[in-house]
Amino acid sequence: MNISFKDIALIIIASILVGFIYNSLNPKGISLIKEKKELVFESDSLLLSIDQEVETIDSIKTSEITEKELIPKGNNVRKDSVQKKEENKIIIEPFTEPKAIKIDLAYKLYQQGVKFIDARMPDEYSLGHIKGAYNIPFDGDESYREILNNFSKEEILVVYCGGTDCDLSFYLGNELSEKGFKRVYVFFGGWNEWIENDYPISKN
Amino acid sequence: MVRNKFLEFFLLAARIILSFLFIYAGAEKISDPESFSQAIENYKLFPIYSINFFAIIIPWIELISGLLLLFGIKVKENSLIISSLLVVFTLAVAISMMRGLNFDCGCFGKPSPIGWKKLGENFLMLVLCVMLIIYDSKLVSLSDKTKSN
Repeated sequence: MNISFKDIALIIIASILVGFIYNSLNPKGISLIKEKKELVFESDSLLLSIDQEVETIDSIKTSEITEKELIPKGNNVRKDSVQKKEENKIIIEPFTEPKAIKIDLAYKLYQQGVKFIDARMPDEYSLGHIKGAYNIPFDGDESYREILNNFSKEEILVVYCGGTDCDLSFYLGNELSEKGFKRVYVFFGGWNEWIENDYPISKN
Repeated sequence: MVRNKFLEFFLLAARIILSFLFIYAGAEKISDPESFSQAIENYKLFPIYSINFFAIIIPWIELISGLLLLFGIKVKENSLIISSLLVVFTLAVAISMMRGLNFDCGCFGKPSPIGWKKLGENFLMLVLCVMLIIYDSKLVSLSDKTKSN
């Protein structure tokens, strides 16, 4: 068994050289050091804001016009991520990267009628999913993504997958943000936490 | 050395199968480096700063070794390179299975989940590789015939 380790070294060095040269010339090339994309959790003030607004929903509806006039320019209320509410809809400032949310906020948004997207494969989706959620499997083909054409880029979208261990919602969330959706949330706890809390589900 | 004709043909077949698999795997990863980098990250086995280094060089090692193997140049050496890659891949898949992770293995272009099937495939390829390291393969080869005889 005469194996030339010199040749092996040569082949590997040649591969490394070609790899780096090709990568630097390739328009799709990647950076030498991978940038870690990390999820930022949405601040708890949003949760508090929704709570307050739900409590005061009736009073706001009746006094909307007067309240608008009463708020002076540069008021602290403006700085909060939730600005105002119209017809039971919360308004959130747009952001470029998806933000993570936990079960409490996810359920609040769900109650507001926000669209949920299931990033798991169709067979898992059909075994059970959050009631009313759309299925856009991240690893699935493009046809699933056609439904996105019906969504407004301004809409709030909540993406989820199996639970905290799965990355599908994170990837799909990034994809949606790159596609121009401005209010993408990744529901971190996902399906597992949803069923633990006995929140509405459906099967088909 | 008198060599069995059957063995020679078998080794040639092994060479061709392995080389096509690795040329395809390498070329596919070269065409989409971002996905491969993501695939390596999924395994959560390597520090983040080393991931793109591997993502840049591994596909080319696969492609170049595959091509050399196909043309019968430095068969033993290239088989050793490929088998080392296979051992690393197999370990990565096995560790991920033990951790209960379930994601696309990033092996060949189309999504294929990690699991026993993947381990089996890798093991078969490894057996072919080891045979090539032991017996070499000189049939239909571009390397220097005078030396090998």
